[in-house]
Amino acid sequence: MVFSRLFFIYIFLPVCLITYYFARGTKAKNAVLLIFSMLFYAWGEPVYILLLILSAGVNYSAGLLIGRFGSSREGKLSAAAAVSFDILMLVIFKYSGFIVENFNHLLNISLPVPDIKLPIGISFYTFQTISYILDCLWETVRPQKSFRKFLLYISFFPQLIAGPIVRYSTIEDEIENRKADLPDIASGFNRMILGLAKKVIIADQLSIVAERLLGDISHASLSAAWIGATVYAMQVYFDFSGYSDIAIGLGRIFGFHFDENFKHPFMCKDITEFWQRWHISLGTFFKDYLLYIPIFGKRRKYASLMLVWLCTGIWHGAGWNFVIWGLYFGIFIMIETLIGKKRMKRIPLIIRHIYNKIVIIIGFGIFYFEDLDELGSFFKALVPFTSNGAISLSDRITLVNNMYLVIFAVILCFPLLSGIKYISEKLTVSSTVSSAAATFISAVLLLLTSAMLVEQTTHPFLYFRF
Amino acid sequence: MSEKNKKSRNKVFETNLAALINIIVIVVILISGAVYILLMPHEKVAQDENRVLTEMPKFTLKKYFKGDFTGGIADHFDDTIHNRTKIKKFIASTITPLKGRKYGDENEGAELYGNPVKAPKPITVTTKPPQSNRFTTTLSLAEGQTEPTVVTTKPPVSAEEPAAEGGEISNSILVVNKRGIPLYGGGLGRELEYASFVDEYKIQLPNVNVWSMVIPTPCSMYLPSNYKSLSADEKIDIFSISDALQKAVPVDVYHALLNHKSEEIYARTDHHWLALGAFYAAQEFANLAHLPFNSLSAYEELHLHDYLGTYYSYTQSSSLLDNPEEFIYYKPKNEVTVTQYDTSFNDPTDVALLVPPDNLTPSGYYYVFGMDNRIAHVHTNVKNGRRLIIFKDSYGNALLPFLTYSFEDIYLCDIRYFDLNAASFAQQVGATDILFAMCTFSAVGDNRLCIRNNLYK
Repeated sequence: MVFSRLFFIYIFLPVCLITYYFARGTKAKNAVLLIFSMLFYAWGEPVYILLLILSAGVNYSAGLLIGRFGSSREGKLSAAAAVSFDILMLVIFKYSGFIVENFNHLLNISLPVPDIKLPIGISFYTFQTISYILDCLWETVRPQKSFRKFLLYISFFPQLIAGPIVRYSTIEDEIENRKADLPDIASGFNRMILGLAKKVIIADQLSIVAERLLGDISHASLSAAWIGATVYAMQVYFDFSGYSDIAIGLGRIFGFHFDENFKHPFMCKDITEFWQRWHISLGTFFKDYLLYIPIFGKRRKYASLMLVWLCTGIWHGAGWNFVIWGLYFGIFIMIETLIGKKRMKRIPLIIRHIYNKIVIIIGFGIFYFEDLDELGSFFKALVPFTSNGAISLSDRITLVNNMYLVIFAVILCFPLLSGIKYISEKLTVSSTVSSAAATFISAVLLLLTSAMLVEQTTHPFLYFRF
Repeated sequence: MSEKNKKSRNKVFETNLAALINIIVIVVILISGAVYILLMPHEKVAQDENRVLTEMPKFTLKKYFKGDFTGGIADHFDDTIHNRTKIKKFIASTITPLKGRKYGDENEGAELYGNPVKAPKPITVTTKPPQSNRFTTTLSLAEGQTEPTVVTTKPPVSAEEPAAEGGEISNSILVVNKRGIPLYGGGLGRELEYASFVDEYKIQLPNVNVWSMVIPTPCSMYLPSNYKSLSADEKIDIFSISDALQKAVPVDVYHALLNHKSEEIYARTDHHWLALGAFYAAQEFANLAHLPFNSLSAYEELHLHDYLGTYYSYTQSSSLLDNPEEFIYYKPKNEVTVTQYDTSFNDPTDVALLVPPDNLTPSGYYYVFGMDNRIAHVHTNVKNGRRLIIFKDSYGNALLPFLTYSFEDIYLCDIRYFDLNAASFAQQVGATDILFAMCTFSAVGDNRLCIRNNLYK
């Protein structure tokens, strides 16, 4: 099940909320959340739910063993076994097809390519279990003794399918004892609705524009390539950060407080900062669990850095473009590290902004084109004075038809809410007025999002019906 | 209690009250939405999209384990929401226009929908290469020669060369001057395949007249000159087909329609032509085939007001929504009986030739001429011994009424929904003529493969 469905918003969620708030005590509330999380996952993955439970079972047991043996050899072996299991799961279910395809290509053989459907959310929940195991080993957290609570941590539906990657330490206390007061619940609802609106009203509409501009890349003009990649970058931002907002909002309604996953990434001054603002939970995961593992020795930090970015790329998908995408960003971060923070700061701000936006836009182009031939055409289209011209008629019409949408999306990339808060404080707007405004805006956005979800059910399949 | 504490408690109370109101408003919307989705009558058909809406799935273990059962339940509730057409119209008229401006004139400017016209990737032909497109080698031995002269003739486009992949031709639609115009992606060699497929009918049925009517779309008639670069040229492909046909006879409806382009021959809001366009095409065919043909005075004119067709459904364009059209069609005054069969020519049912306007909704794919997935047999009072089979796409439907003065019997068969061997069927019904009537998108798209496949069922 996905959040941006009428069925989820108006049937699954209300039933879950009613049941949750009728349940008395944390134990009963946890049971409700666990049942609904299982239902949520099984709704789309009736078979792979067993995989989720198996993964939880293995990591829960490993956690208990680590708790028992500490950082002794047995404890380390338990951790190694659990992490190997987690990585193996990812390799089998996410990368086996890609690996075999490349083997076939490289060795000119024809091994059967496994056609395994990717279990939804496996990349997220596997990283959660890895972080849990390593935290247990490093004694950052105490191993969870209740399997039900551990399973709830892994399968909690708000963050199950699209993150953020929640550390066990973040919700360790709240899983045992939590309290959601009225302002918390209200802000949770508002945040969830904001996320839905970002996904449905902005991201889904931008995706149409991006597809039109980048869809036929071998014939794309210079403008189509640049603007298309820019629009796509914004699409991914609103889509992904929208999902994170929904997760954070839903968590808050149930009394959980997840960390922020996006902090206006396009406001960054350099690429290093971009990744401190974009998908923060993934960046901190790699920083905390991979970057400081001295795989290449302590002096070879750049090799570790590139390994992190290789993994970041591969984590996003089983394709060479994701590998290139990860390494591409890794190179720029390495260059920035070599230049050093102080010297970077001396570069005029405008130059830094132009530099990082160009790098980011090209980066999202690489992310978009999974076909390497198309990626080649994209690079070609980025260069001025190529055969496809500066802008085509179809690009012009597309841009004029969607100009307000694109401008609106650009404006929303700025931290508007903080600005509004600042202004309302300056103007001493009463909290009652600002709360009423927030309520009104949330209600309108929810209704509008719902109407647009109805509109998205259109499937005319026009040309099959001649 | 100190003044400071009192103020602080008041602030907490205010904050909690505001939060409570916020929660109540959102929960009321959520609960109302749940009641609306669950208890209001569910819609069953989307006429504007020409499809049956998602039904509640039936439980089977296989469906369950594939996720189709649970997914189907969510699809059902999302898809069949009460008043979905009205909600969609609200979005089209109020929200969609906020995305941007029309290109050019504010009132009659252009909007572009769907993905760009993609040149299909070349693939190797998997179907049997048509005879007419093979390399032909002839040997001739002139008087006094000891060695024969070998002459190899290369066809205009060889089927052995990589052919373009079928499938989606294009989803692009331009809305300009309050009219939807499909953007044609081009035949890319597939038009020659169409010609060879049609010729095969004549080869298998040498005593039957085989006609090919490839119908241009509004793209050929109404695409403004400054938008020409958005589309390939249908005319080139239509006449390539005419040139490539070696056995079947082409019917030039391109010029017949072009001569009347100022009249209402194409729908503005739908992807079909209008009955008047079909009339001129039928006239051209009748003249070419030396058939009797009646003027429009032999028909009763029927009107469907405020018609809003598939282009609106696809684009949700407010330009179309705000400018519905008058859908006019013509009912022949002569006596005809119409029997409808399933796609295997079984299960006969008597039906009317045309659906009267009172039984139609003014939006959606038009059902005036009946559904596509059927075989219709029209028996007329003409006595000339001519029996026609129309193998068609949905464009061909509109021709039927205008040929009821020309043939004794007409069999209307959709190439996509035909479960018989086409040649055997032609022999079974004693056809004297076969007319292939379809638009360019079908002739060069996946539908063309049905023409050939229907010969080998």
